[in-house]
Amino acid sequence: MHKLIIEGSKSTPEINFDPDNNILSIKGQSYPENAFKFYEPILDWVDDYLKKLENEAKVQIDFTLPYINTSSSKCIMMLLEKCDDAFLDGKVISLTWYYDEDNESELECAEEFTEDLNLPINILPR
Amino acid sequence: MKNNRLLNLHKKLREEGILISFSGKFSQEIIEELGEAVKKYLEAEEHPKTDIFNVFSIFIEQTQNIKNYCVSKKDTGFYEQISNSCIVVIGKNESGVKYIFSGNMVQNEDTDRLEKVINELHGLDKQQLKKLYKQKLKQEINPERKSAGLGLVEIARKSTSPLEFSIEEMDELFSFFTLKATV
Repeated sequence: MHKLIIEGSKSTPEINFDPDNNILSIKGQSYPENAFKFYEPILDWVDDYLKKLENEAKVQIDFTLPYINTSSSKCIMMLLEKCDDAFLDGKVISLTWYYDEDNESELECAEEFTEDLNLPINILPR
Repeated sequence: MKNNRLLNLHKKLREEGILISFSGKFSQEIIEELGEAVKKYLEAEEHPKTDIFNVFSIFIEQTQNIKNYCVSKKDTGFYEQISNSCIVVIGKNESGVKYIFSGNMVQNEDTDRLEKVINELHGLDKQQLKKLYKQKLKQEINPERKSAGLGLVEIARKSTSPLEFSIEEMDELFSFFTLKATV
């Protein structure tokens, strides 16, 4: 399976999904003109990756999202739900969400996203 | 230079505490530039990070909402007129309260729905807004609508006082809609 690497921009995060080391990282602000268009190939990649994932593999998801607009939030939620379903299905997946200690809103955002998920979550200052 | 109109405008903006104002067609590039500029400005003034984040967040939702509304009018023949009617202002009053104030033309046929949505948000406290936000966050995406319907809920959540809005009828086709949020 190929790596998914997308360079970041002012309004789109850097994507670095590495299927060899099972690390999925999203880093940066997200408020593109059309979030669904930006995230569609990313969600498709994740579908494909999870389908091929072996039960023994340990997957680490790393998020650093200093700002996400609402339509990006919707896409990030979809991504997390896919991973959570895979976790409930027996895959080993955990999520670490890095936030800015001086920004309550960023922490609040991380907590809201993760409070209904089942997979192990670490919310850490960056 | 007694009647220097630009200087007068400049004074007026300063008196009103306006940090940034833009009037015209919103593009993604303009939204990004203005958003980053206001962030830098507030950082230089050492406002709390949470406040800066909330101003930025409201600004992005407000301007992207308007832009999406304009785009939805692409096939109506009113696109240019509506797109060019947009305005957004970010300022602060004497006590340091920041506000994000936007306006745009809307078709009269859309005003009832708009008014209904905002009035519904008015009755909700922060906890109820959070619940509504999460519920909408998990709703299936309707590919026909670019907007997740979340923008206004998010603006209401981030605003420290209830959203102020007005809808003023201009003629038989259009009204002017304004929305103000504060941080």
